[in-house]
Amino acid sequence: MSETCTYSGRDDLLVAYLYDDIESDDRVTFNAHLARCGQCSRELDELRGVRTTLSVWTPPEPALSHKPRGTSDEARATSLEPRATGRSWHDVPAWAQVAAAVLVLGVSAAIANVEVRRDNSGWTVRTGWSKPSSILSTAPVLSEASPAAKSAAADAGAPAPWRADLAKLEQQLRSEFHATAPRAVTVAASVSDAELQRRVRTILEESERRQERELALRVAEVMKDVNAQRQADLVKIDRSLGFIQSSTYGEQMKQREVVNYLLKVSQKQ
Amino acid sequence: MTWSDEELVTRSIGGDADSFNQLVLRWERPIYALAYRVIGREEDARDVCQETFLRAFRALNGFRGQAKFSSWLYRIALNLCRDWVRRERRTPIVQASEDIDLMEVAAVREPSASIEDLVARKELTRIVERAMARLPEEQRTAIILKEYHELTFQEIADLVGCPLSTVKTRLYQGLAVLRRELAKSES
Repeated sequence: MSETCTYSGRDDLLVAYLYDDIESDDRVTFNAHLARCGQCSRELDELRGVRTTLSVWTPPEPALSHKPRGTSDEARATSLEPRATGRSWHDVPAWAQVAAAVLVLGVSAAIANVEVRRDNSGWTVRTGWSKPSSILSTAPVLSEASPAAKSAAADAGAPAPWRADLAKLEQQLRSEFHATAPRAVTVAASVSDAELQRRVRTILEESERRQERELALRVAEVMKDVNAQRQADLVKIDRSLGFIQSSTYGEQMKQREVVNYLLKVSQKQ
Repeated sequence: MTWSDEELVTRSIGGDADSFNQLVLRWERPIYALAYRVIGREEDARDVCQETFLRAFRALNGFRGQAKFSSWLYRIALNLCRDWVRRERRTPIVQASEDIDLMEVAAVREPSASIEDLVARKELTRIVERAMARLPEEQRTAIILKEYHELTFQEIADLVGCPLSTVKTRLYQGLAVLRRELAKSES
């Protein structure tokens, strides 16, 4: 086992042979040498084992921002712009993005004071903080211009020509809005609701799967740690027992010697 | 139609930005992997990767085609890694071992892999990272370029600027150290 190979340029040839990056003549010669030299063939096997082990080392999946885009200008911009510091949106899980979107939507709706109402004339969507007058809100029939004008005048306490114009304009806008918007809004709302439900369900399922997988991994890790700790504790206990046994044995021997000595002394007397 | 790197370079120089984008898509992962293994930090590796392509784009007119485009890119990336090490005054040690996200590991691996396999693989990865971290920079670089990027000895020698025999010696010595370290970890 203590043989030492003195083949000229052995280390370089061994590496070249290992990576198959070797001249064909050198390969033939070294092949013949390997057949004779146990040390070299053994080391070659070990280095192959090292290479196999090294192959497990893979970098984490990169969240690279270089993606093909539609136009060349976009592609150039995407590819060449240095990445902004911090985490990109690619790093944020999908469920978090959806949650953020829903939150933003909710806050926006609250700020805009969105009011969605359904009545005989269909869906009504209203935004803004200006409240409709109480008479208007209690009067369901909006097709007539006069009640609105009357209510506006009543609100003011005195008739004013601009109030009537304003009421007419409001009436006109309402009728236009009812004629076009409700159907679109209704369809969009129902579609987006169904889509949202589907997405949320998918996200929840994905999240559950990921959590299950994570839990299983954590459990496996904890079990591994516990086993390692158990082994270490057993070794420690074993050592302690050995120490106690040896010290007890030593004490026992001493006592036996003392007893023997006393016996001898007593027999002499 | 698949263009060669050199053809894409020529087209890029001619003003075709899509060609350069194709080069980026083709080489971003190898360059990122090289940077990650050399400097060991994911965020910084990504930055090095982007900076590599940015510099390559700026210097594209100066690329004369004496070397392969990939070798040219590797050289830029390696120089950036060295600059990073110098700037950060850190040894380029891979430090991802302690806080590997198990969810990411699980997500990256194929679903058929069992939990035990994943944990064992992760443990082995840690061992390899630690062993690689013990190597001197030249040996580590040589091993990374040969083992993970399959460059020839001559290409590595040209890249790092040293004789061919030195590359082989560095590889042999590095592998010998790794063999000892891995054996220690196993025992």
